Amino acid sequence: MSNTITKIASLVVMIVSFIAYVAKAPAFPIASENLLPWSTWFFISTIANIILWQRVMKLLAFALLVIWFYAFAASIVPETSTARVILDDIPRTEEAFVEAGEAIFNGKGKCNTCHTLDPSAPKGRCPDLSDIGVLAGTRQPGVSTKDYLIESTYEPHKFLVPGYGNIMPPVWKPPISLTELEIETVIAFLQFQGGEVDLTKFEPPVDIGSAITEVEVLPPLLLGDVERGKRVFVDGAKCIACHAVAGIEQPAGQTLDDGVEVVAAPDLTDIASLNSMRYIEESIVKPNALIVSGYGSVTVKTNGASIQGTLTFQDEEKITVRVKDAGGIETEQTLLLSELDPEPIEELTNLKDQGYFWIEVNTADTGTKVRGDLADEDAENVIISVDGETQTISKSNVQVQATIIDFDGNEIVGELVSENEDEVTLMVDGEEQVIDTFDIDEGPIYGRALGKRLSVTSPMPDNFPLLLSVADMSDLLAYLASLTGATEETVAEAGASAAEAEDAAE
Amino acid sequence: MRCISADSKNRLYFYLGLLVIYAVLAIAPAFAQQDATDVDYRPFPKIGSRSAAWIAAQLHLLFGSFILGVPMFAVVIEFVGMRTKDKRYDKMAQEFIKLCMGAFSTTALLGGVLVFVLIWCYPQVMNRLTGIFGPTMIFYVILFFGETFTLYLYSYGWDRMQGAVSKMWHLFLGVLLNVFGTAIMFVSNAWLTYQTSPAIMGPDHKPIALHDEETGEFIGTLWQAVNNYTWMPVNIHRLIGNIAFGGAIVGAYSAFRFLVAKTKEDRAHYDWMGYTGNFIALCGLIPLPFAGYWLGREIYMFNNTMGINMMGSLFSWLFIIQAVMIGVLFIGANYYLWSGMTRIKGGEIYARYRPYMIAIIVLCVAIWMTPRTLIMSPKEMAAMGGTNHPLVGFFGLMTAKNTAVNIIILATFLSFLFYRRSGKAPTVGWRKIGNISIAAVLGLAVAAIIAIGLAGFKVESDFRVNVLTPVQVLIALAVMIAVTVTDLVMYRKAMRSNDINWGQMTDRSQYVLILLAITFTSLMGLMGYARSGLRENWHIFGVMPDTSPDAFTPLLGDAVNVIAVIMVIFFALVGFIFWIGLWGDKKKAERATVTAEVGVGDD
Repeated sequence: MSNTITKIASLVVMIVSFIAYVAKAPAFPIASENLLPWSTWFFISTIANIILWQRVMKLLAFALLVIWFYAFAASIVPETSTARVILDDIPRTEEAFVEAGEAIFNGKGKCNTCHTLDPSAPKGRCPDLSDIGVLAGTRQPGVSTKDYLIESTYEPHKFLVPGYGNIMPPVWKPPISLTELEIETVIAFLQFQGGEVDLTKFEPPVDIGSAITEVEVLPPLLLGDVERGKRVFVDGAKCIACHAVAGIEQPAGQTLDDGVEVVAAPDLTDIASLNSMRYIEESIVKPNALIVSGYGSVTVKTNGASIQGTLTFQDEEKITVRVKDAGGIETEQTLLLSELDPEPIEELTNLKDQGYFWIEVNTADTGTKVRGDLADEDAENVIISVDGETQTISKSNVQVQATIIDFDGNEIVGELVSENEDEVTLMVDGEEQVIDTFDIDEGPIYGRALGKRLSVTSPMPDNFPLLLSVADMSDLLAYLASLTGATEETVAEAGASAAEAEDAAE
Repeated sequence: MRCISADSKNRLYFYLGLLVIYAVLAIAPAFAQQDATDVDYRPFPKIGSRSAAWIAAQLHLLFGSFILGVPMFAVVIEFVGMRTKDKRYDKMAQEFIKLCMGAFSTTALLGGVLVFVLIWCYPQVMNRLTGIFGPTMIFYVILFFGETFTLYLYSYGWDRMQGAVSKMWHLFLGVLLNVFGTAIMFVSNAWLTYQTSPAIMGPDHKPIALHDEETGEFIGTLWQAVNNYTWMPVNIHRLIGNIAFGGAIVGAYSAFRFLVAKTKEDRAHYDWMGYTGNFIALCGLIPLPFAGYWLGREIYMFNNTMGINMMGSLFSWLFIIQAVMIGVLFIGANYYLWSGMTRIKGGEIYARYRPYMIAIIVLCVAIWMTPRTLIMSPKEMAAMGGTNHPLVGFFGLMTAKNTAVNIIILATFLSFLFYRRSGKAPTVGWRKIGNISIAAVLGLAVAAIIAIGLAGFKVESDFRVNVLTPVQVLIALAVMIAVTVTDLVMYRKAMRSNDINWGQMTDRSQYVLILLAITFTSLMGLMGYARSGLRENWHIFGVMPDTSPDAFTPLLGDAVNVIAVIMVIFFALVGFIFWIGLWGDKKKAERATVTAEVGVGDD
């Protein structure tokens, strides 16, 4: 009789503990201590059942033990979830944001797929982020840590760390689809990596809600004829004149038959291996969306002289421009950014997008002149870094500047005091200067400030897609998509990952 | 013989009735909700929509896999029986189909449950899928009718169609049944693979989207939607998987019948049946990793983020658990073969090799399950001297794993070779040279596979993937074919020391068969989670986002709990179906006994 009771009791314990284990019930008897987890109850009772029972019940216990074993084994390995981190009531504190950001970094954002947080880790697909809280502020001149991180998450293609390809998708786009708040927490987590966390709300550079529905792709992709696309590349659009492709001879000469100048452009031999199709397509439709380092055209003024060429180097203090003279001989000129001439800025909007890195404004209320690096900008303010300290100037408090060139060629720049049909009064260096309108050759050119900028553009014509028919474009894209290179590193990496899939025996 | 009393039956019906009443009461509140005809989602009560759909789909898939796999080898076994004129094969094939018949209606029932759950919980998703795949669903219904009636004819006509010509027709029905079954699977695979990869393969393997990027509108043809990027790899993978799974379940059924058998004859019969089931499962298991490789590669080529998630991120540790399971399958299958040698007189001469082979297989399995991606604290990392162990870390790389897998396959092949040779002595004059040649070829093959594996650490990964790995596989396959041919010729006129003593097997070996079946089922559940989870928060990847509360991939620890529940339900249902079959057989046997006794009395 007692044997039967023992058998039934062990059977009941086994079934109850299995259900409790699967349902993740609190441990029994002392939940808080996790003294006897359900896995222990189950394991012991199952072994008891296997010993006590015969035949069918023994089999049942054995089967349940095997099922449990696999569940248990899978539950103790490291795991990642794409589960949403609930941010509805998240307090705006460093601790909460960093914690949530870390969960999103390793979860829904999938940042850890390519980025490491370990300086000793082997070079991965994307840069290591272990000290990004400090490094971010040094990557681009005049760009603060937070701005850099905002740009890197919303528009990762805008600046690429040397040595890494344009492979990161904007995290607000599908399939990752992070919300603005989720991105904020990730930025907080990244700032936390060696830096100080700034939780000030910011205006996202992209309106996710409307941008997500924008038409971004023009023709139906990859339906084209690769061979015909090659002909478009070589003979039709003559892309080969500037872009090299291994195995195709480039025509000699400085200009094409139609007078278009030949410039150095990126080699496209393995373009499809290194970049996404969307990037290739965007490079044709919007050539200025991302300019490959070393291939952008720039025009700068220094000491009144204009220099035009290809920007080959840039750091916080200087730039190097490759300039071609009339004879076609190329030389490189290095210029200090501080030597560039300031130019009037008509509207204080989108300054960074226009390439401004230095700015000078006069405040209307106190008449103070503020000049320094352009640190940040929002709809209402400009933030200027003066000797390491930032000053926030309201745009409505900025004095309007005017520039006038008289018939003697003199350039007069000052604050606009008054203006009528006969004369313009400017405040120049604290003194009012009245200029007769008959003496004005050019101007007045109004500006709200003076600024130095570095505007880099693609030498590729903006209207390039308009020169191609839909069929040409489609074929050209198909051809470019076929340019994977022979045994390039990325292909190898793709192959390696595919090989990893060898385990995938479903 | 014990039979089920009327009281027992009444009790059974009572409990079943209670179960149905509880189920109705549990879901009743959902029906009482306000009318919602234009909603994206409707919550499934208690367990949630995802769990409901998951459980229904996985159960349907497991039963479907069984009823599609079993007829494939049943018809082959029937053909073998016809050719050899050995009635035992014919009877075994018929018994397989009986099991299939029992599971067939449950499969259909679960299919219906799945459709209802999907329509109820995910109306917009189903609306979208039916909009694209509507015609294939009609085709599916036609195929289903075809399969149902063919199965009925094949099963119920078994005893009647035993004449020479009739048997041919019967075999034709068996083949037709498999054609219908495979076609049904291919059609339904199209729907689910489309959800994962809604694109077709373009030039140079590049995917061509089947949807307008702006509006999400479907712009492809029906055939393009069917023939999507991962359709054929999934088809082939599942086809082979069905055979392996069917064999394993038949093995488990035989093991159960063996353990409860009362007579020697029964034990002998179910021992033989279990051996056959295990053999079939092994035949499916060996090529399965290669088909899995193809599928994984296609997933990667379709979308590299998905591929990276699979092997290098979200699911990387899942594949370590998968390696554990496949390791259990190989070790278990080998153990069963070695146990089987004990019932053959003369098999003991191969016992001396067992310790070495165990060591080799366990070592290779250990290499296979060595993880590469470790999650460690800085302290742990410093203690180990880096992100990977300086020595063991190399085993986490694919070149080491590929080498280990090929050696496991060769070792398993060698086990089978020993099993085949047990109790036989070759009579050909060149047997010594033949044995030396076979040993040399196997030894050289292993050496070559290891050498190629070592070279894999040094070369570029694309060379390894595209050249070295296929060469390793080809070496293993070529050696297996060459040795099999040599061995067949060598043992053609072999002296048989004794026949196999079917039924003389340990109970432990039968538990191994059950272990294999559970492991196969767990593996299918786990990989089903991976395949579906790869879509992450998409119903149709990149086209139709999942905005339901379950729009995320659950943790592996949570997923395996759901899988465990599915397993328990599956084996409970399978057990019930088999028990019903057993019950019917007992009744039939009782009636036959009574009739015989009456007949004797009449005389």
